[in-house]
Amino acid sequence: MRPSNEPFFWAIFSAGGMIAAFLLPVLIVITGFVVPAEGIEFDQLDNLFGFWLVRLVIFGVAFLGFFHAAHRIRHLLKDLGLRSSATPIAVLCYLGALAGAVWAAVVVI
Amino acid sequence: MTTEAMTATQTVTLEVFRYHPDTDTEPSYQSYEVPYREEWVVLDALNWLKDEVDGTLSYRWSCRMGVCGSCGMMVNGYPRLTCNAFLREFMPGPIRVEPLRGFPVERDMVTVLDDFMEKLTDVKPWIIREEEQPIEEGEYRQSPSQLADFKQFSMCINCMLCYAACPVYEHEDEFIGPAALALAQRYNLDSRDEGNAQRQELIWSDEGIWDCTFIGECSTVCPKHVDPAAAIQQAKVEATNSFFISLLPFTPPGMGR
Amino acid sequence: MPGPLPRTKSNDWWNRRWAYRLVLLRELSAFAVAGYLVLLLLLVASVREGESAFADHLDVLKNPLLWIVHAVLLGLVQFHTSTWFRLVPKAMPLKLGGWRVPGELLIAGVNGAWLAVSVIVLVIFLVAA
Repeated sequence: MRPSNEPFFWAIFSAGGMIAAFLLPVLIVITGFVVPAEGIEFDQLDNLFGFWLVRLVIFGVAFLGFFHAAHRIRHLLKDLGLRSSATPIAVLCYLGALAGAVWAAVVVI
Repeated sequence: MTTEAMTATQTVTLEVFRYHPDTDTEPSYQSYEVPYREEWVVLDALNWLKDEVDGTLSYRWSCRMGVCGSCGMMVNGYPRLTCNAFLREFMPGPIRVEPLRGFPVERDMVTVLDDFMEKLTDVKPWIIREEEQPIEEGEYRQSPSQLADFKQFSMCINCMLCYAACPVYEHEDEFIGPAALALAQRYNLDSRDEGNAQRQELIWSDEGIWDCTFIGECSTVCPKHVDPAAAIQQAKVEATNSFFISLLPFTPPGMGR
Repeated sequence: MPGPLPRTKSNDWWNRRWAYRLVLLRELSAFAVAGYLVLLLLLVASVREGESAFADHLDVLKNPLLWIVHAVLLGLVQFHTSTWFRLVPKAMPLKLGGWRVPGELLIAGVNGAWLAVSVIVLVIFLVAA
């Protein structure tokens, strides 16, 4: 029996799930509601995103979050009956996550 | 239930799944009126039917007390032990009784168990020792805390309600499934057992724990509170730790296998 | 002789019970996670580009449609958070010395940590920057 490569993806899925659970709700409140209500000025955001550690955290959240979502969607599609195309689905999902992660890197660098 | 309601409802309708392998190509449903008694379970109603109305009705049962694990059926679409599914839960009815979902049907509510039995054997649910301790050295001792580590997972009665509740097993023929994986974990966690490595190849494969997506209904329907979903997730954590440790160029202290 | 009835497979499992529908919603929250990350990165990119790009982006964010989008995303992501935390004691039961931490206590602890982290992030954005 072939050893599974799932531990690798599952580890990223779990880490991403945990990070998303902790950080995304408050981030949505800030960037979706406080920012458009002009509760935060441009200078504040510029200051914050000018700090390399903040940008590294944003990249980490995006990288892990995209792979978390990709892994979950991949298995959801499988559970909804697309088992026969499991491999192309997996490739597509992870490629999508990779594209997201590369874009995140471009944004923060 | 009030006295008036009890006297008003004298009977209840059972819609029973029927399939005879010699004559039928399609299953059908047959409706029966069964006397309603507050203390009757669905199994009592089926036994009354078989004794009084239709002797051809086929189903498995034995202990009538939630221990033997043989009377599992779908009751109104939900996997239950029919010996602890009271008629009064489903009043005023009708009550639909079907064989457990996800298994081939031998006849009526009798399912074919070969697939599960094979998978159960494959996970080696027994204590494996590299070397048996001589009898004169006495029994393998275990502390209450070591017992508590696996006791919950050892309560399984192989009733297969968890398989009937598992959408992954429904779709994936190769998936080992909740009960067998929980039992593998039960022996892996047993301080007397040394068979972890022998079980790993199968348990840690794609058809083992990795097909599970933590839907969690296996644990909800379990009449013995085994919590197979928890057993599987814990095995995933172990498999993942071991995967990353194996990538290290050295073996961390205490992690050798 | 037809023989045993083969096992049946159907794709409607998610619509059989509320427990399954909620699991489906839990899994669908992955789309909200990915979708919000795209919105977050667009915001960060506009800030990095400069004040006028940010002003343009702010105009878009003020559109009521995007308020609704963010509200839906928040609901789904919050559902991810609460379901994720509920499963923590199952996947990672905690043993301190010989004491098995009760599942509900562990969940409460994780939720407390989540609240603290949320407040810290808010403070960083509102005060520290």
